[in-house]
Amino acid sequence: MRVIDWIFTLAITGLGMMTANFIGFDIAFAESLPGVLVLLALALGGAGLAHIIPLKLPTVAYCSILGLLVACPLSPVSEFVISAANKINFTAPLTMVGAFAGMSISNQLRSFVKQGWKMVLITVFVMTGTFVFSLLIAQFMLQLTNVI
Amino acid sequence: MKKNNMMYPTLLERIKTEWIIYALAFVFILIADSIGQIKIPVWKGTFIIFPIFYALFLGILSGPNTLKIIDDKRVKAASKLVGVAILPFIAKLGINAGANIEKVISAGPALLLQEFGNLGTIVLAMPLALLLGLKRESIGAAHSINRETNLALIQDMYGADSPEGQGSLSVYITGGMVGTIYFGFMASMVAATGLFHPYALGMASGVGAGIMMSSAVAALSEVMPEFASEISAMASASETISGIDGIYMAIFIGLPLCNWLYNKLEPTLGRVTKAGREAAERIGK
Repeated sequence: MRVIDWIFTLAITGLGMMTANFIGFDIAFAESLPGVLVLLALALGGAGLAHIIPLKLPTVAYCSILGLLVACPLSPVSEFVISAANKINFTAPLTMVGAFAGMSISNQLRSFVKQGWKMVLITVFVMTGTFVFSLLIAQFMLQLTNVI
Repeated sequence: MKKNNMMYPTLLERIKTEWIIYALAFVFILIADSIGQIKIPVWKGTFIIFPIFYALFLGILSGPNTLKIIDDKRVKAASKLVGVAILPFIAKLGINAGANIEKVISAGPALLLQEFGNLGTIVLAMPLALLLGLKRESIGAAHSINRETNLALIQDMYGADSPEGQGSLSVYITGGMVGTIYFGFMASMVAATGLFHPYALGMASGVGAGIMMSSAVAALSEVMPEFASEISAMASASETISGIDGIYMAIFIGLPLCNWLYNKLEPTLGRVTKAGREAAERIGK
């Protein structure tokens, strides 16, 4: 995608976020705006880094690392960033993601139905296995290192 | 990414094609966020239906298999938009991690080691797949959580038409349809046992699939509101690490383990059930 495409898509995403934040949580557009701009800037920055840096890391990794850096105590803008982002309700950015994700898999509905219950059961095991084994290791290690 | 550049000559061309996708997304937001969350008590936990699930469902309904509001070309365009639209959310979680950086660092060893838990799917799902009559499909199906990168990896290594590729694709499709809602529900049920610390639950949510992680974190934050910030901080850290190591984990550990386990288990577990024996005959082994 070109830079202009990125900016356009992110602007749509920002509008979606503000709409969800307003409808779902009664937070006015103007109140959401600083947080939305921060998040969009980080997203654009992450995409830019992924483009420039020759490592094969996913764009999401750059975005979350950037977010971490601007909000950590060493960052001069951490207070502003954290309070602005806190205005955006946790699930507000997700509704639009869900809408796009649903549309993006809508042509797989027929294959999904055809696959039947066996694949559903296997998928449930796949997801449960990943979650539960990570959880067991995490819990054990947190106790071992006296974090909890 | 090169191909995308060629897709539309100008932004205006793109908007002419995609405007219906944006319009639908806003309509879905209006509907979904007006309904808001619905909480259904289940056992000691809660089954929470978030706006994202309605939006996902409405999106699936609008496609070429049902209401036909959007065609295959727009389906493809939508899948590019998902990857962009989730970035601000990922950045928000990164901010949470930064705000809780000391806790994240103190949990470092646990964060790194729990990554190996993502291989747990193999141990759990491979035997089941064999019992249900899958053959080499089980390798693709059980090797990881099977999101976009994993699917691409399997198709690259074995070919899209291979049994392994088909197994991966099947779980990918099912995961897209029901995975998001299931992952959040399962996380809140596991939390309801009271056996696990919120930090550990947060870490376990970061499985290298943004939308699944968001579902789990949203559900966990609802059932443990006093830990919401830490849960998303741990999830963000774990998700970031998974995003970086996931593909190597699959290439160097997951797939070899799958192949080894398959060779061990297929001659026994794979012949226990009728489905397994029939499948073995069909492929002539």
